[in-house]
Amino acid sequence: MRTRNADKQELVKQKAIELIVNDGFDGFSVNKLARACSISVATLYIYYRDKDDLIRQIGLEVGQTFFAHTFRDFSPQMPFAEGLTKQWENRARFWLEYPQEVAFYEMIRLSPYGEFVLEESMVAFKEIMSEFLHRAIRNKELTPVTPEVFWSVAYGPLYTLLRFHSAKKGLGGNAFELSDQHLADALKLVIKALTP
Amino acid sequence: MTTPLDHILIFKTNILTAADRLAIENRLNTHCGIERWSLDQQDVDCVLRIVSATLTPADIIDLITCQGFACAELD
Repeated sequence: MRTRNADKQELVKQKAIELIVNDGFDGFSVNKLARACSISVATLYIYYRDKDDLIRQIGLEVGQTFFAHTFRDFSPQMPFAEGLTKQWENRARFWLEYPQEVAFYEMIRLSPYGEFVLEESMVAFKEIMSEFLHRAIRNKELTPVTPEVFWSVAYGPLYTLLRFHSAKKGLGGNAFELSDQHLADALKLVIKALTP
Repeated sequence: MTTPLDHILIFKTNILTAADRLAIENRLNTHCGIERWSLDQQDVDCVLRIVSATLTPADIIDLITCQGFACAELD
């Protein structure tokens, strides 16, 4: 009897992410993935219906992993500044520890697979964040703004700094390496901007 | 529920075009032994994937070749 092999599935996931990040969705095929994993094409079709199913399922897993990391040691009952600080720490750690997954998730978000992946992986995220933000507004810790404005102000500076760090270059091409002080300075301004 | 892996059968075919797909679709949709099926026409092997608790690979090969297409188990 054939059995599911968790190690093999993890290898397939890692190699698929690597191939898609390097070659794009069009350059990716089930055959290439099978070769990269040294397994048969048939084995891949045991786990996934087709190429689209494989990309969607892996996208969903990466999305769920990302949101699980985002909420590590976080509670929607936390005071606003404490909760946002925790999320900055978690998001920065995920970005720095899992660069391939981050690149893959960025690609999938903007692709035709994005709608399915976001819809499926964000259900729990939306609920938890909604509770956190409504509570902060009620407690007058947060200025009421649209979700898009909140997201841009709350996380935009973090991702801008992380992108500078990944590129190893800041403004004007100067060398840049992200430090805890950079993050603390930016977060302080963000909290100030969002507080009534 | 997770599908038992032994119920998943994988074949290499030459069911290449949308018209080819239409030609086999009805037979696969109405076969009482087939729980689910999918065809990956983006793949060079036009891989046919069948979920069935009762049919053997030989049954599927007969079914597809009778419709005029090539079909072989994919290793």
